[in-house]
Amino acid sequence: MSKDLLAPFSNAASQTFKLMLDLDVTTDMVETSESLHDNKEKIGIVIEITGDLAGEVMYSFPKDTTLEMVKIMSGMEFSEIDEFVKSALGEIANIISGNAMTGLSQNQLSCDIRPPQIVESREGANTEGCSIQRAKVKTAIGDVELNLRTGS
Amino acid sequence: MIWKEKYKIGVPEIDGQHEELFARVTTFVQTLRSDKPWEDKVAKVNETLEFMKDYVVTHFQDEEAYQAEIGYPYLEKHREVHNNMVAYVAAVSEEYEKEGYKEELMQQFGGRLLAWLINHVVAEDQKIAEYARSKEVTQ
Ligand SMILES: [Fe+2]
Ligand SMILES: [Fe+2]
Repeated sequence: MSKDLLAPFSNAASQTFKLMLDLDVTTDMVETSESLHDNKEKIGIVIEITGDLAGEVMYSFPKDTTLEMVKIMSGMEFSEIDEFVKSALGEIANIISGNAMTGLSQNQLSCDIRPPQIVESREGANTEGCSIQRAKVKTAIGDVELNLRTGS
Repeated sequence: MIWKEKYKIGVPEIDGQHEELFARVTTFVQTLRSDKPWEDKVAKVNETLEFMKDYVVTHFQDEEAYQAEIGYPYLEKHREVHNNMVAYVAAVSEEYEKEGYKEELMQQFGGRLLAWLINHVVAEDQKIAEYARSKEVTQ
């Protein structure tokens, strides 16, 4: 059951990276106890989910991966995580989540998403008392972490 | 942004509009991202924004007309996505005028527009082509 909820998100991420960025992707499901923290600077995008599956999904993008993604899309060099980059990344997370909603609806779950919120930090979100599922989406330009948190 | 042959849906009018949109958004982003001070680029940014406001509406109408013509079953859903984008562009440009043409909002707009347009053309609009091919009504 738990892995099934995350699959629509990781599938949507793979599909979106493939189509938008021409990136091939492999996905690892990560055990809850396993720490994903490393010392890389990350940008987190949190999207709240409402409806049959209430909770939130957080995408954690390494800084260099983010800059490379924006470069692939625009054909221009980016060196800093500025407003333009954050907004582009938020839209990508929004697109992935929107596609995941379609996947969830095929599992008879009717949900909606709220606009993306950007959180810049080196730490993951506080996940106390909640059910968390994690996946790591691996690409040639770095690994993106997916955290799906559903109500405790 | 780099226009690729594989983005084509096989309808010259629509493909031409997509290519034009890619070119305009590229110019917009290049202007937005150039090292020049904001005062030096704001005129060009505003000009492109005005063009985009009209052009997306024209394009969306033409594309929806094509979808209707081939009996595309997801036209209503697609129209809703178009309408949401038009509403977003209108809301941003209204706020932008109201706050006196500040840079930050345009940087945010540029980033979102870039990602939105690529995904929409490459993923959503491609589905129209897939349907047309499945019905063999292209051209
Ligand atoms: Fe289009
Ligand atoms: Fe479209």
